[in-house]
Amino acid sequence: MKILDTPDIAKWVDEYAAGLLKRAMFKISDTEIAKDVVQDTFLAATEKLHTFKGESSPKTWLYSILNFKIIDYYRSKARQTVSPASQSLLKFFTETGEWNDPKKPRAWEDDDSHILDDPDFRLVMRNCLEALPEKWNACISMKYYLDKKGDEICQDLGITPTNLWQIIHRSKLNLRDCIETNWYNDH
Amino acid sequence: MKRLMNIMFLSCLKATELIEKKLAFKLSITEKIQLAVHKTMCEACSNYEDQSILIDKGLHNLGGSAKIDVDMDAFKKSILDKTNHGQN
Repeated sequence: MKILDTPDIAKWVDEYAAGLLKRAMFKISDTEIAKDVVQDTFLAATEKLHTFKGESSPKTWLYSILNFKIIDYYRSKARQTVSPASQSLLKFFTETGEWNDPKKPRAWEDDDSHILDDPDFRLVMRNCLEALPEKWNACISMKYYLDKKGDEICQDLGITPTNLWQIIHRSKLNLRDCIETNWYNDH
Repeated sequence: MKRLMNIMFLSCLKATELIEKKLAFKLSITEKIQLAVHKTMCEACSNYEDQSILIDKGLHNLGGSAKIDVDMDAFKKSILDKTNHGQN
């Protein structure tokens, strides 16, 4: 068994920090948070260095720590409570469940998938995603950024499938509305 | 007859719920029929479904597009400062 000490960490930082940051930014869109998560990863690696047996490569080991840290981040975000006002569907629907007229989905003129390549459109999507309540943002980010299946998200966040489905529904209603307001009404 | 009407006619709230259930999980046969019937009569919910699918696609590809605009040397140094501190 190889005895590892601080110089190795320094070498790892030099070798893997950029790659880890790139991965973190792919999974968490906020740069500052992604940097913190990578920093935490190296901190945890330093503390747990004695548990690293060299059975996997340092790179694999660091990336697995990073993955834990990313899920941890979303887990803490998902613990935030959502205000009753955000949860209410009355913004979108009448008491009987029909669309409120101003919130009725209109046909989007330019709804072809190529719009998804437009950096400005992506920015609108990103901002709309950020505007969601923390808990919903965490669920949606885990689903799409981390590419997790429903049951994995439920397990990671300790919520039921019905609960997740409701969160997705409310998030999508808000996202759709936000995109329509900020993209289609402005163009 | 009234019962049949209740089964066949969804509110838009319920219809959008089923659209999201369809995209994230799976619908039962009854739910599939309910949703199909609703969409033939409701343009807004049909728009909603098309747009929700588009948003789904967009979200799947949203990660990774952020440009990495980070001073790597400073970043590495800050990590080293932190980890060395942790060693003491």
